[in-house]
Amino acid sequence: MFQIDFSDQGVIAVEGRLDAAQAPRAQEFLDQVDGPCVLDLYKLEYVSSAGLGVLLRTHKRLMGTGDGLKLINVNHHINDIFTYSGFDKLFEIEVAER
Amino acid sequence: MQQEFSRSFDQLNDIVAFTEQVFTDQGIDPSTRYVVDLCVEELFVNMVTYDTETDRDILIEMNACPGGVEVSLTDYGVERFDPRNAGTVDVDAPLEQRTPGGLGLFLVLKMVDSIHYEYRDRNSKITFVARSKEETEEHNVSD
Repeated sequence: MFQIDFSDQGVIAVEGRLDAAQAPRAQEFLDQVDGPCVLDLYKLEYVSSAGLGVLLRTHKRLMGTGDGLKLINVNHHINDIFTYSGFDKLFEIEVAER
Repeated sequence: MQQEFSRSFDQLNDIVAFTEQVFTDQGIDPSTRYVVDLCVEELFVNMVTYDTETDRDILIEMNACPGGVEVSLTDYGVERFDPRNAGTVDVDAPLEQRTPGGLGLFLVLKMVDSIHYEYRDRNSKITFVARSKEETEEHNVSD
């Protein structure tokens, strides 16, 4: 199951598995977002290259206006994927304390 | 264990369920699970996206092996494509030079412990092994 929506704190909460089947839905949601944007990935269990593409595309669009995506509460599996992909050099990332 | 899947991204949930079943039934170390999920998805999606000259199902075989799990994906009636020859990605490039796409096979080659390719009678078979972290560390020490 995959979910993406604004949380009470105004950040965007992403849950479940962000795979190739769900990437279009995530992209459609994030295409509506403007300004600085924080993604809370605490409940994101899995991301594949399709999901990474969504994050990169959105980050590049937002950086065009000087903003960008910040990724918080990233679990260690997903942080490994970010590191292998070089995303640790492109995004501001906060790893989850657990 | 093996199962065939139709050529649709909608099959990814069923593939995850199949993987879960294999890991449970064969007592495979769950530390390899993320690598297996990611590599199976990337290879399956690559076959569905680029091997468009066939409508045959894709066969996935998955079994415990010493220290980990061996996984094969077979695509029938397709052109040769050896994923080991996939282009690399400059992960040190600045943001303006990064483009979405191309990361899938790059991650597969980065994360598996070994990968093998066979092409025979227009059937394309990719086999990879993912070992548990302890096994990988022991191999690295003994190397």
